[in-house]
Amino acid sequence: MGGVPATATARRARPARDPRPRGVTLGRVVASEADKLTSLRSTGWLALATVAAAAATAWGLGMFARPEPGASGAPIAVAGAVLSQLGFLVLGARTGADEYRSGTARSTFAAVPRRLPVLAGQALVTAAAALVVAVIALGAAVAATAGLRAAAGLALDVTDPETARLLAGFVLHQTGVALVGLGLGALVRRPDAALVAGVLALVVLDHLLATNPGRVADTARALLPGAGARVLLDDGRLDALAAGSLGPHPGPWSGYLVLAAWAAALLAAAAYRLRRGDVT
Amino acid sequence: MIEVAALTKRYGPTTAVDGLTFTARAGAVTGFLGPNGAGKSTTMRVVVGLERPTSGTATVDGRRYADLPAPLRTVGVMLDARSVHPGRTAFRHLTALARTHGIGRARVDEVIGMTGLESVAGRRAGTFSLGMGQRLGIAAALLGDPGTLVLDEPVNGLDPDGVLWVRRLVRDLAAEGRAVLLSSHLMHELALCADRVVVIGRGRLLADAPVAELAADGSLEDAYLRLTAGAVEYQGRAVGEAGTTAVGGAR
Repeated sequence: MGGVPATATARRARPARDPRPRGVTLGRVVASEADKLTSLRSTGWLALATVAAAAATAWGLGMFARPEPGASGAPIAVAGAVLSQLGFLVLGARTGADEYRSGTARSTFAAVPRRLPVLAGQALVTAAAALVVAVIALGAAVAATAGLRAAAGLALDVTDPETARLLAGFVLHQTGVALVGLGLGALVRRPDAALVAGVLALVVLDHLLATNPGRVADTARALLPGAGARVLLDDGRLDALAAGSLGPHPGPWSGYLVLAAWAAALLAAAAYRLRRGDVT
Repeated sequence: MIEVAALTKRYGPTTAVDGLTFTARAGAVTGFLGPNGAGKSTTMRVVVGLERPTSGTATVDGRRYADLPAPLRTVGVMLDARSVHPGRTAFRHLTALARTHGIGRARVDEVIGMTGLESVAGRRAGTFSLGMGQRLGIAAALLGDPGTLVLDEPVNGLDPDGVLWVRRLVRDLAAEGRAVLLSSHLMHELALCADRVVVIGRGRLLADAPVAELAADGSLEDAYLRLTAGAVEYQGRAVGEAGTTAVGGAR
């Protein structure tokens, strides 16, 4: 590479009274984290794949649904959550762990040595991105299942409280899963390990425990982060779950609180490690 | 100005930095020398707050790095050329860093121009050669127009043109009154651009003296080899020398 300018920076005259602060503020860190997320091409592909998964799964599962005519079409519309939640898990885990794997953490934390604002910024940006992607994914799933709903005579009436809960629950659950992913990623600092842990906690453990039902296993199942998915189950499914379980029967919102508690605990653990340890 | 005082950093049973004290003064280029594993990079990471010291202190302009309200405007840091996400373009990497301090687009373009990266600023950093990565690292260090610079092996992987450019850059930065702490293994390069050198081995201070004084009887390289003779952590052997025990390298 030739033609390199040989002159160094000259100390530029600074305005005597610049009203804006010259240093790090939380708002600036949030803007920086938003910039980081949107500056990766893979973010767009991940969002696209997640939306496609939500719509395709909802459509595919909807083909086999045999609801009574006149029932709500919401369970079919949100059925894609089971697969598409993995996209949100990846979104969060990647934001949390890629910093460390790629070495960007050195640049990031040299710029923000107080460190915690970075994690707070990542949490805000991840939640906002997950919310937007979840709304789009829900819209795509509703559109993809429109034909199925029409054929089966299912209504999608958002003024019906249960329908509203399921639709809002889809968005809230996915946002919660993204934050669990962020907490895991920032805590273990390796995207692969964070993903494996996330899939275990959200999906695999629940299925393993289900093979050996009992009071202990059912209680454990109700306390796994996957309990958040109760917010997108209709009352009939929740009753069926309660009937088959010897453990506690969290309702849709207490189930969601379990997921929120997991996200909060993981982020707190990540913050503790970040605050106390070294960044290398 | 960087002041390191009685700095010790341990990782479990391993002591990486052992009671190190030195100062990198304003208006001078301080060369930071030592064999591989001597603790140079650890010291630099502690100075910029990435690692917590086990004991002792490291301050910049009298303050702990973590207490600086605008770190990038006080200290420019280049620790490792691989401190960039490979999927992000050079421009977006610098923009994201600049945003944390409210540094504008104009300054980002300025440092891209200063480091000669105009033609590749829109390329993803993962496609960069080592030398281009170094230029990007230096661009990031210059973003906040800081009064102190910490550069770990800045000429590593640069072409001869780039080496010359870094030499002039650090001389100019020091001439403007800034403090530059620069590590390198290239003795010839340091002899040309450093005012003073700090030599460490196994985490301890071996020498802290002006270049002219160290190189008084011979070259800086001779002085360095003499100083570090007992403190080399990893030592290779000449072909045919197999079986001989490394003199200073026994762990």
